[in-house]
Amino acid sequence: MAQPLVKKDDDQDDEVEYSPFYGIEKGAVLQEARVFNDPQLDPRRCSQVITKLLYLLNQGDTFTQREATEVFFAVTKLFQSRDIGLRRMVYLIIKELSPSSDEVIIVTSSLMKDMNSKTDMYRANAIRVLCRITDGTLLTQIERYLKQAIVDKNPVVASAALISGIHLLQTNPEIVKRWSNEVQEAVQSRAALVQFHALALLHQIRQNDRLAVSKLVTSLTRGTVRSPLAQCLLIRYTSQVIRESSGNTQPGERPFFDYLESCLRHKAEMVILEAARAITELNGVTNRELTPAITVLQLFLSSSKPVLRFAAVRTLNKVAMTHPLAVTNCNIDMESLISDQNRSIATLAITTLLKTGNESSVDRLMKQITNFMSDIADEFKIVVVEAIRSLCLKFPLKYRSLMNFLSNILREEGGFEYKKAIVDSIVILIRDIPEAKESGLLHLCEFIEDCEFTYLSTQILHFLGIEGPKTSDPSKYIRYIYNRVHLENATVRASAVTTLAKFGAMVESLKPRIFVLLRRCLYDNDDEVRDRATLYLKTLGADDTAAITDAKEFLFGSLDVPLTNLEASLKNYEPSDEPFDITSVPREVKSQPLAEKRAPGRTATGLAAPATTTSTIDTYESLISSIPEFSSFGKLFKSSAPVELTEAETEYAVNVVKHIFDGHVLFQYNCTNTIPEQLLENVTVVVDASDAEEFSEIASKPLQSLPYDSPGQTFVAFEKTEGPTVGKFSNILKFTVKEVDPSTGEAEDDGVDDEYQLEDLEVVAADYMQKVGVSNFRNAWESMGPDCERVDEYGLGPRESLAEAVTAVINLLGMQPCEGTEVVPSNSRSHSCLLSGVFIGGVKVLVRLSFGIDGQKDVAMKLAVRSEDESISDAIHEIVASG
Amino acid sequence: MILAVLFANSEGNILIERFNGVPAEERLHWRSFLVKLGADNLRGTKNEELLVACHKSVYIVYTVLGDVSIFAVGKDEYDELALAEVIFVITSAVKDICGKSPTERLFLDKYGRICLCLDEIVWKGYLENTDKDRIKRLVRLKPPTEF
Repeated sequence: MAQPLVKKDDDQDDEVEYSPFYGIEKGAVLQEARVFNDPQLDPRRCSQVITKLLYLLNQGDTFTQREATEVFFAVTKLFQSRDIGLRRMVYLIIKELSPSSDEVIIVTSSLMKDMNSKTDMYRANAIRVLCRITDGTLLTQIERYLKQAIVDKNPVVASAALISGIHLLQTNPEIVKRWSNEVQEAVQSRAALVQFHALALLHQIRQNDRLAVSKLVTSLTRGTVRSPLAQCLLIRYTSQVIRESSGNTQPGERPFFDYLESCLRHKAEMVILEAARAITELNGVTNRELTPAITVLQLFLSSSKPVLRFAAVRTLNKVAMTHPLAVTNCNIDMESLISDQNRSIATLAITTLLKTGNESSVDRLMKQITNFMSDIADEFKIVVVEAIRSLCLKFPLKYRSLMNFLSNILREEGGFEYKKAIVDSIVILIRDIPEAKESGLLHLCEFIEDCEFTYLSTQILHFLGIEGPKTSDPSKYIRYIYNRVHLENATVRASAVTTLAKFGAMVESLKPRIFVLLRRCLYDNDDEVRDRATLYLKTLGADDTAAITDAKEFLFGSLDVPLTNLEASLKNYEPSDEPFDITSVPREVKSQPLAEKRAPGRTATGLAAPATTTSTIDTYESLISSIPEFSSFGKLFKSSAPVELTEAETEYAVNVVKHIFDGHVLFQYNCTNTIPEQLLENVTVVVDASDAEEFSEIASKPLQSLPYDSPGQTFVAFEKTEGPTVGKFSNILKFTVKEVDPSTGEAEDDGVDDEYQLEDLEVVAADYMQKVGVSNFRNAWESMGPDCERVDEYGLGPRESLAEAVTAVINLLGMQPCEGTEVVPSNSRSHSCLLSGVFIGGVKVLVRLSFGIDGQKDVAMKLAVRSEDESISDAIHEIVASG
Repeated sequence: MILAVLFANSEGNILIERFNGVPAEERLHWRSFLVKLGADNLRGTKNEELLVACHKSVYIVYTVLGDVSIFAVGKDEYDELALAEVIFVITSAVKDICGKSPTERLFLDKYGRICLCLDEIVWKGYLENTDKDRIKRLVRLKPPTEF
C-alpha cells in the first residue's frame, strides 16, 4: 500500500501532505458505496467512491464474492444518472469488478441500450464492457451490432469492436471468424488506428490460411498503411510469408524484399528497425541483402534514445551469431556502448563484441569488460561469462588473459548461478585447452578456499581428483584439499577425503603422506567422512597388485549401471537379510519420453559435460563387454551419435549407434514400441549388407521382449577388413507382435510375425575419425613435421557457396575444426580451414584445407595432410578423392 | 500482448497495476522484479528517459515521471519499440492530466482520471489509443475531434 507522504511540495514548503487515500479501508469504502442507492444521486460523490474502489482493486485488495456482488448491483443503479463523467467511471468499474455470469444479466439490458445509443461514445464503451463480461449465448445476440460497429464511421467505435474481436477470438473463434468481411473493410479504413487493429484481427482470423495471409500481405504492401504500428505488423506478416514461401522460389529472387528494403527508408524509426530486423532474420540472407540493414542499425547505435540503441544492438547481437563478419563494421560504435548507462544495452554490446572480435582485440576488450563487470547484475554477468567461454575456445592462444579474467571475477561477490557459470567455464577451458590446465586447477583450488557453495566445492574436489594427479606436480594441490577436511561441512569433507584417496592411488610417491592425512580423518565427527577414510586406507593399503587395481577401479571407474536405474532399485530395496545386489540393477538406459527426445539437444556445459560424454562411452563399453558375443572385439574406438532410422511419430522408433572397433563394426539398434496395445517379442534387425562387400555379418543378439515405451536394444556385428572400410546397409525390423489388453496389461498367448522397413544406414569414413582438437594448430603442425605430409589439389565442382563446400568437407572427414576456421566469412572468394583428429589405430592427423571459388561457383581445394603415419595421410586423401 | 503496466512511487509501493494474461501466482514475482529493476536503475534518471531490459522473450520499458515510476512489460509484437510507444502515450497523458510531472500527491489526487486514461490507452493487453488529446476527450465521453 502507498504510505502517507511526507514530501515537500514546491509551493508549500512546510506543509505535510497526506495521500487522499490515507487510512483507506475496504469496509469503510464498501459502506460508502451505499450512496449508489440514493434516490437523488450525487455524481461527484459517486465518482469519488468509485475511485476509491479502483484504488483498492489496483492495490491488490480483493472483494469476497458477496462484497463484489453487492457493489456490482449498487453500481448498476448508476445507469440512471445522466452525468457523463460518472457514466464513464461506471463502465470502468464494471470491467474491474468482472461480475459472474449469473449477475451479468442485470446490466446487459442497460449496456445493450447504450450500444444502440445515438451517443457514439456510449456505443464504444458499452461494446468494450459487454465483450469483457459476455459469454457465448449473449454474444450471438449482440453479434449483429458488433459487425455494424466494426464498420462504424466513428473510429473509436470501430476500434472498440475490433479489439473486442481480438479478445473474443480466443473464446468464441467460430463467431468472430464470421466477421471477416467487415474486418476486411476496416483494414481499408482511413483512420490509422482502426487500420492497425483491423490488420491485427484479420491476420489472427486467417493465420492458418497461408494463401489468404499471402494475399493480405500482397495487397497491403502495394497499398497505403497509415500508422507505423500497422506498418510494423505488416513487416512481421511479410517475413512470415517469405519464410513460408522460401522453398518455392528460385534462388536469387526473394519476394517482397523490395518492400522490406523500402521500409528501411520509412520516416518512423520503429518501422525502420522492424524492417532491418526482418531482413537480418531472412533465411540464408546474403551479404548484399544484409548490408543496408546493418547500415541503419549502425546509425541507431548512436541514437540518443535508449530504446533505439537497445533494439539495434539486440538485433546485431543476433546477426553476430550467424554472420559475425557482417557486424564487425559496427564494432567501434558498440565499444562506446559498453559504458552505456543502460546495463542491458551494455551487456548486449559486450556479448556482441565478444562474438565479432578478432584475436588482436581480445586484450583491449577484456580491459573494458573488467571495469564494467562490477556494476551489473548477476544475470548479465552470466551472459558475459558464457560469451567469454566461447571466445576462449575460439582463440585458445588467448587463454591466459581470459582465464585470468575468469579467476578474478571468481573472487568477487556473486550468487550461486553466476559462480557456477564461471566454474563451468574454467572446467571447459581446462578440458579443451591442455595448456590452461595447471593454471585453471590452481584457480579452482583458490576458489574452494573461500567458497560458500557446498555443491560447487564438491564438484571441484571431484574434478581435482581426476585431473590433479595427472599434472606435473600433483603435491601442490594436496594442501588445498586437506584444508577442506579441516574447515568445511561434512559433505565437503567427505568429498575431500575421496579426492585425497585418488591422489594416493595415482601418485605412488605421495601415497605415504596421503595415508598420514587419511588417518587423521579417522577421528572426524561425521560417519561418512570416517567411513570413507577407513575404506580408502584399507583398499589403498593392500599389498598385491590385483587389490590395488581394484581400488583404482573403485575410485575412478564409473558405475556400470545408469544412476537413475540404481536410484530406482535402491528405492525398491527393502531392508532384509539379503544384501543389495548391484548386478540386479537393469543396465538398459531408458530413453527420454518421446516428446522430449524430439526437442533439439541442449548444449552440455560445465562440470556435467565431461562426465556425460565419458560416461556415455563408458556405458557403451561396459554394455558391450557384458555381452559374450562381442566381448572379444577389443577396445572400442568410437561410438557414433544415434542415427534415426524411423520418422518421428511412427509406431516403432528405432535409432542405431555405430560402434567402431579395429576389426569389427557393431550396430546397436535402440528400439522403442510406441503402441500401448502391443507387446513385441523376439525383435531382430535383418541387415542386408550386399552394398557393403567388405563387411561380413558374424553375430547378432535379438531382443527377447519389447513392451510399450520401455526401450530395448538388439545388436548386429560385422567383421570388416582393416582400415576405414565403408558401406551401405539396409535394415528390416522383424518381430512377433502380441495384442495386449489395455485394462489388465496382459498380453495374449499367440502372436503374429511381422516386419517393419527401416531407413538405410551407412558406415562412412568419418566414423573412423575421432574429433580431437589441438589448442595451437601451428605448433602442432610444425612439431608433426613434413615427413608424412601429403598434398594434393581437388576440383569440387559447382557448389551452392564456399561455406557449404567447407562444411561438406569437414563432415566428410569427421574431424574437429580448430581456431574457429569452420566459419566462412560471407562473400569471401577463398578460405583456409584447419582440422585435427585421431584416426582409427590412434594416429593423430592434422589437415590444412585451402578453398577457392570462382564466378561460376566452381570450388577448388588444396588438401595438405600431416600425420604420424604416411599411409594414414594417403588414406585421408583417398577419403576426399572418393567422397 | 502488453503483459503489464505498473505505476509505483519512489519507495517502490505500487500505485496502479494492470496485468493481462499473467497468472495470479506470477504477479507477485513480476511486481517485485519490476520494483527492484526500478530501484537499481532509475535513480538519477531524467524524467521520461526510457530504460529498457529484456528477460528471455519478454521486454520491459520503464521510466520515471516526477515521483512516479512507470513500467510496461510486453512480449511478441509488443517488443521494446512498441512498448516505448505505450510508455510515451502514458507519460504524455499523465502529464496532461496533472499539468506537469506529478508528485505522488498530485498523482493520487488525479487517480480516477488517470485510471480512465489508462483504460483508453491499454485495453486488455492491446494498445488502443495513442493520441493524448483524443484520450482526453474520450475519458469525457466526447468523440475524437477528427470525427
